[in-house]
Amino acid sequence: MDINSTVLSVAVYLPFACALALAPIMGRSGRLACAVSVFGTGVSGAASVWLWIESWLGGGAPGAFRFAFDGGAVLPFLALNGVSAPLLALAGITGFAAAVWAASSEIERKGFYLFLLMIMQGGLMGAFASVNVLCMYAFHEFALVPTFIAMCVWRGAGKRMAAMQMAVYLTLGALVSLVGIVALKIQSGAPGFAIYEFSAALARAHLDGEWQKYIFGMLLFGFGTLVSLFPFHSWAPRTYAAAPTSFAMLHAGVLKKFGLYLLIQFAVPFVPMGAVDWSHLLAILALFNVIYIGFVTMAQDDLKLMVSYSSVSHMGMCFLGIATLSATGVGGALLLMFGHGLSAALLFMLSNAVVNKTGEWDMRKMGGMYRRTPILAAFFAAATFASIGLPGFANFFGELSIFVALWKHSPWICAAAATGLIISAVYGLRAVARIFMGGENPNMAAAGEEISDLSAAQRVAAVALLAGLLFVGFCPASITKGLDGWLSTIPVYNLNK
Amino acid sequence: MDLELYAMVFTPLAAAFFGAVFFRRSKWGAAVLSVASAALALALALRVMLSGAGDFSSSFELFKLGNFKFDFGLLWDGAARNMIFAVCFVGFLIHVFSVGYMDDDPDKGRYFAGLSFFMFSMTGLVLSSNLFEMFVFWEFVGFSSYALIAHYCGTQAAAEASKKAFIVNRVGDFGFLLGILYCYSAFGTTDFAELGKLLGEKPALANAAMGFLVVCGFLGKSAQFPLQVWLPDAMAGPTPVSALIHAATMVAAGVFLLVRLCSIGFLTPEVLDFILIVCSAMAFCAGLWALGQNDIKKILAYSTLAHLGLMGAGVAIGYELAMFHLTTHAFFKAALFLVAGSIIHACAHEQDIFKMGGLFRRMPVTSAVALAAVLSIIAIPYFSGYYSKEAILTAAFGRAQAGDVLDKAAFWLIMGAAALTPVYMGRLFFNVFFGKPRSEAASRARESSLWMLVPLAVLALYSVAGAWGVEYGMLWSGGKMSGLIPAAASDFIAPLLEARRAGLETISNVHMFEWIALAVTFAGIAAAYVVYGGGKGYDVLERRCPPIYSALRAHGWFDCLYDWYVAKVQQRVAVFLATAVDLLLIEFVCVRGLGMLCAVTGFGIRKLHCMGISAQVGWLAAGLAFLALLILT
Repeated sequence: MDINSTVLSVAVYLPFACALALAPIMGRSGRLACAVSVFGTGVSGAASVWLWIESWLGGGAPGAFRFAFDGGAVLPFLALNGVSAPLLALAGITGFAAAVWAASSEIERKGFYLFLLMIMQGGLMGAFASVNVLCMYAFHEFALVPTFIAMCVWRGAGKRMAAMQMAVYLTLGALVSLVGIVALKIQSGAPGFAIYEFSAALARAHLDGEWQKYIFGMLLFGFGTLVSLFPFHSWAPRTYAAAPTSFAMLHAGVLKKFGLYLLIQFAVPFVPMGAVDWSHLLAILALFNVIYIGFVTMAQDDLKLMVSYSSVSHMGMCFLGIATLSATGVGGALLLMFGHGLSAALLFMLSNAVVNKTGEWDMRKMGGMYRRTPILAAFFAAATFASIGLPGFANFFGELSIFVALWKHSPWICAAAATGLIISAVYGLRAVARIFMGGENPNMAAAGEEISDLSAAQRVAAVALLAGLLFVGFCPASITKGLDGWLSTIPVYNLNK
Repeated sequence: MDLELYAMVFTPLAAAFFGAVFFRRSKWGAAVLSVASAALALALALRVMLSGAGDFSSSFELFKLGNFKFDFGLLWDGAARNMIFAVCFVGFLIHVFSVGYMDDDPDKGRYFAGLSFFMFSMTGLVLSSNLFEMFVFWEFVGFSSYALIAHYCGTQAAAEASKKAFIVNRVGDFGFLLGILYCYSAFGTTDFAELGKLLGEKPALANAAMGFLVVCGFLGKSAQFPLQVWLPDAMAGPTPVSALIHAATMVAAGVFLLVRLCSIGFLTPEVLDFILIVCSAMAFCAGLWALGQNDIKKILAYSTLAHLGLMGAGVAIGYELAMFHLTTHAFFKAALFLVAGSIIHACAHEQDIFKMGGLFRRMPVTSAVALAAVLSIIAIPYFSGYYSKEAILTAAFGRAQAGDVLDKAAFWLIMGAAALTPVYMGRLFFNVFFGKPRSEAASRARESSLWMLVPLAVLALYSVAGAWGVEYGMLWSGGKMSGLIPAAASDFIAPLLEARRAGLETISNVHMFEWIALAVTFAGIAAAYVVYGGGKGYDVLERRCPPIYSALRAHGWFDCLYDWYVAKVQQRVAVFLATAVDLLLIEFVCVRGLGMLCAVTGFGIRKLHCMGISAQVGWLAAGLAFLALLILT
């Protein structure tokens, strides 16, 4: 076992260890809990970034799983490849930012909050670091359940409905995909649920086209529900608007990428003919995400709902990248997943800050906040520009690659999807102008001196997210090098070469 | 050499970053950093130009996904040299001017970071070696324009204008991006050199649809019909920004794109005809609309629209004409906007020309610069604007002689635009500088500081003599300089202009036409003096003929149309989808409905299980009977 596999195990299991450590003290000391969780996510995040950089610069066979950590019979087997390494880093960075934000905010029962957050963070890291699909599934549930609890605990009775709806939706989605996974295992004759076992078994056995169609259908709609694919999206906006800040960040930024991740890593490579069958419908549904949800986003006056809907809308672009079934499109989808994860987390964090500082969620009642909170305004504008696809942020190269692939797939779908560029600029810039620019709203003026700018710790959280966005925005090769190596080994992604 | 060029592009980026992050509150830190980076960029540009290095390019692979490679490269050729000189030279002067203009601004850090970021984006755009890379910088340029228009973001006007500028540009970029994608999928490359080679071998490969899509980018960035609405509003930004971005350089990026594409044969005749008619119409209309404005910056904004239209028409006739006019326009329009800035600064931010007056006495240097720039823009012989404008006019004349209806219409529109220029510029000049001061602020105006006057003087010099090098050769310094500009910066257009002039000699009446054009210009000046001169203090048209004045003021009712679309169509569709479809149909009927169905079913089944003993016995009997029935039949 080399050093990197130890680093990987630290990245995944340290948050769980922190949760264990927090369990006895969470009722008593808020400060100690903060220190433990910031330390835990910080180390685990740094480890994940290290592994990402290693997988970029380290060389090695393209596409192979690396840094394997064998936990024996006790702990799940962990390893990373070109797809999962950047996503693990995404989870690590976002988790750190979420923990720092939580630690620096005023929250009731903070110890418990951080405890749940650590479990969620461990689940997220594990989901991307596992090679066994069942383990991924289990880790995913570890990440899912704390959101549900947190929504019920910290938002009171009014948000119960949203929490229930999310839980039902996501459990159903996960169940449908589980059926698909089990069916694939049985049909392929794989001895276990590990990715490499599937690929070995499928290299020998040819899977019947009908079966592929059904299995991919189940995987698509199961995972699609997790990612809020139209028309199974209505849980998402209300969940994000209702969830406590740090959980909304992790859920919208990271957990939502899990369904896409499994489509890219698992469903499309192993059920390629099924993917071909469904790709057209997927593209159409994804267009609804981009355009229809884009219009719905334009109509929102509630800042948090606006940000939530925009996040749903951007998932459509990721789906479109996958629907092209080409290395360029799928690679672009992964770049966009990374960029969107960071920018959505940043937007959720900052919009919650705006709502908390002003006590107001309606953007029509805001205005002119720039004078009081220039730093918050700058970060918010940066996050908005990242999410509407300005070059220099990771999202842009993702969207560009998706468009390139999509044009080859169908110029008309590409043109329709590109209207998303305009739509997202309309609602994004409108929000910036409404909240921060213009004359000061009388409401805000009344709030007076209470509105203060971001604290130093909150700036650290924002900078962590922004740094990731800018780094990949200026150096996309940090993701694409390992990713392209992996993509070139998957036949279905290289059909029209 | 490419090291110098990379340094030229990325030094301003570093200055922007450090200025914005570390010198946000500093009084001079960001300004010093930014001016120094602009000076360095200019020095590097001149160094490469004067070193005598020929055309070259370098590129590296930024990333690769599947078949798609994104190359980042620099292309140093004649067109790029010409544009880089205009951008770096005018940019540097405006940086210096800004130090004086923004002296009392609390947000200097943000302002100078924005300026530096703009220099980075613009130099990158000009040197881009392929369309994808150009699109990246194209977006960067749009962002810096947004950020600088929003500088006074505490005002509603700046908030609206910045948003509008970005979104309208995005509409253009939508088409531009699709055009690039089309080009990439058709040719397998977007590299200018490779495209040039492909199209050079087989000109028939050029595709009209692709051209139209790419031209959308030009329409947005250079504010041509139907996307011209953002430019006048963009005047909400600080005046040096209007000078640099919204007059001299960024809006010319669209023209530069066309020149690049035209010089490799990318644009088909259909596309060029479209550009010709749209742009010459814009040149004429914007000239008319300028007569309906009282704000000094708005008048200059419409004159910019008109001149961009002229450049666009120039591209369609012969791209070297557009490049020539772009260069001289950068000098005299930057000078005019900086004059406006100097006046606005001196008059306590008064912008209404009818509230100024008598400034010739109070601000002699500014007035002298204004005179030089005005004579240049209205094309008085020996001023730089004359050469480029006259070149376009005679070429349009020559084309109309042999051309069809379209060419003739374009010619008359361009002639109209040329005739209108002295009228609206005379209106501005006579009202601002002559007569008596008509407001408190104007009567107390004082000449600006040296920070502002020195750049003004330099730009005035170039407004007068900037084109002499191109026109008369005037080589010095061992042939490295030609007149006031480096020979390397004009070697792209000079030979082509020479050839075109020789070609036009063969057409009869050309010389007579030149005299006629000159007569029209002087007639325009005379008309402006008669109508607007004499320090009346009000707009004659507004008093005498309000309907015409308000029609001019409404600049074609495009803003009304777009506002109507946004409020009455787009927003209504959005609200309908959000409430009726998303909330009602999907959320309540489908999702909650399904939930209710489950709940009701569950409720019913539970009822069945919670009945009294007799009912249960009854159910048991019914079940037995059912079983028996099954078995028996």
